[in-house]
Amino acid sequence: MTLWRQVPGGLIRRRTLLQGMAGLAAVGAMGRPARAQDMPTLVNSIRSLSNPYHATWNQGGEAFAAAIGAPYVTLVTEGDSEKGIADIRAILQKTGGNAVINVDPNDAPDARPIVEACVQAGAHVLTQWNKPADLHPWDFNPNYVSHVSFDGVEYGGRTAQVLIDAIGGSGGIVALGGILSNTAAIDRRTGLEATLAANPNVELLDFQVADWQSGKAFDTTSAWLTRFGPDIKGIWAANDDMAIGALEALRAEGLQGQIPITGIDGIQTAVEAVRAGEMTATVFWDPFWQGAMGLSIPYHARTGTFDPAAEPPEHREFYGSATVVTTENAESFYAEHIAATPQLDFEDLWGRVSGQIRQS
Amino acid sequence: MTTTAGKGRASARLWTSVPWRALAPVVVLAALCIALGLAADNFATAGNFARIATSAAVPAVLATGVTLVILMGGIDLSVEGAMAVAAVVAALVLVAAPGALGAVAAAFAALAAGAALGAVSGAIHVGLRAPSFMVTLGTWFIGLGLAVWLVGGGTVSVRDSELRVLALVRLGGLPLSVWVALGTVLIAWVLQSRTRLGRALFAVGGGEDLAAQSGVPVGRVKVAAFALAGLCYGLGAVLAVAQLGQGNAEIGTGRLFAAVSAAVVGGTSLLGGHGGVLHSLVGVLVVVVLSNGMILLGVPPYLQQAVQGLLIIIAVAVSLDRRGQGLVK
Repeated sequence: MTLWRQVPGGLIRRRTLLQGMAGLAAVGAMGRPARAQDMPTLVNSIRSLSNPYHATWNQGGEAFAAAIGAPYVTLVTEGDSEKGIADIRAILQKTGGNAVINVDPNDAPDARPIVEACVQAGAHVLTQWNKPADLHPWDFNPNYVSHVSFDGVEYGGRTAQVLIDAIGGSGGIVALGGILSNTAAIDRRTGLEATLAANPNVELLDFQVADWQSGKAFDTTSAWLTRFGPDIKGIWAANDDMAIGALEALRAEGLQGQIPITGIDGIQTAVEAVRAGEMTATVFWDPFWQGAMGLSIPYHARTGTFDPAAEPPEHREFYGSATVVTTENAESFYAEHIAATPQLDFEDLWGRVSGQIRQS
Repeated sequence: MTTTAGKGRASARLWTSVPWRALAPVVVLAALCIALGLAADNFATAGNFARIATSAAVPAVLATGVTLVILMGGIDLSVEGAMAVAAVVAALVLVAAPGALGAVAAAFAALAAGAALGAVSGAIHVGLRAPSFMVTLGTWFIGLGLAVWLVGGGTVSVRDSELRVLALVRLGGLPLSVWVALGTVLIAWVLQSRTRLGRALFAVGGGEDLAAQSGVPVGRVKVAAFALAGLCYGLGAVLAVAQLGQGNAEIGTGRLFAAVSAAVVGGTSLLGGHGGVLHSLVGVLVVVVLSNGMILLGVPPYLQQAVQGLLIIIAVAVSLDRRGQGLVK
């Protein structure tokens, strides 16, 4: 269910090129001097480096690896489950199981073979976003340390509430959704609809799918301006790229800043738009935290700081906390997370636990 | 007696002399506009036509580029890769050199990046005698990889750059980007119909062996066509960056399908030798008007893609010249 399923899958994949990059990274890690011998190899397995989200995730991993002086490897799936699983098996083989793996599985079913391979090799693993509902860390003590996700329902709903507050609690809004079959898109839309149900004076004029993408959101928003004109009081978008597309469609007609827009993900352009008062809110997942703490938690389990089997369920399957960036906190947020390299306490393992994941 | 029969024959001759097949895309566009004008109150308004033109600017420039390659019987899949690298280059230059001069430099840098990638495609295609499908598939990934490498996967924000005048300043009610796109189509049309290179494109598309025997420098023509196509993708990237106020490797995502389907819907044959950039402009308008109309009508999202797919099949069925085609593959 990664947020980034929008990259064209199907016929053609960018795997070839990035396979090469991953290979280079692996070679680099292998070539490190002997001090790394006892240190486990830290591995981030992510979708690709071509989207800002996972690029920042990777920076988090690099920062943690540099802090403890461990070898670090990035693996990219490029939307290919087979490649994702095979690359992890290969790295387990190379390291003899002396590895700590933080994985954003390409698809939920991939988590099981990945976890089983890690357990068999004696490596420690943490999964994020995707896993089958019946796969639980506590069934694979101590190697399957934790699963982390973020509550799309909650944040889809919270941005909708910020939007509704911004339009004064009544009027018509339009909504831009992600790819229809995408779990993140479904969750966020569910949150939107729950908030709408609680605000009977707000009408959802139309819901359209813009494939997570700014260009398509631009065209859709332009057509909405024809269809609804001044009846549009607010625009809710399931991610920031689409929110930016909507904002620029407004700007093309001189309407920027007059119609509140919310997005989700916290990309730089959106944060700047919130600072400038042209967007009302975005949600920052903090991929830097995901890339760093997704390694730190299993690393500390491996080195004996805590025993996974003794931890409560809300430390084994938990929702992380995200930040809702609004006009009020945009300045301080920008200074801390965008202008400077984020500072994280890598020892604060459970500081962002915001509850156990709902069992469905 | 004889006169009536003669009249009938004459009108039949008139009927058959109209190039219906070539006009089919225009008829489809006109029918679409009339139907939407009847079905949706707001469709036929000046504001909506301006919005349609704005949405069509980038696809029109891209489709023009793709058409030049398709005309000579090749295919160019590198649209998204060339756009990615050109957009990222433009954004980086804009950040490094603010002001009007920086905007001009950024536009030229993006055009150069697109043209260079196109020239590389053409040179490999000709030099190694490799199919254009595979070569441009490769340059697509090369372009994308370069773009990712240049910005580390991030998005470069250029919200306040001077380049944005292309999207934000209007002339005659339309953004400058629309005029740039129209100018590009016009130049490409002159090139295609009034220059030696244009005739050579059709000659190569009609039959490469024959063209070579007639003295057409096939290799050079091909490299030139790919480079010009790349130039168009670079321009598309400039317009997209101006429109969205940001540059990233994802900016071209989904654009290849739109560009190629616009060319096909417009009646440019994938076999080469038939069609042209004006056809593709009509194709772009059909695709853009349809997606605009579906939102005006409130067509559910899951039906919209199916309708677009159906449109491509219909357009191809109507405009395909099946004479002299022994084998359909």
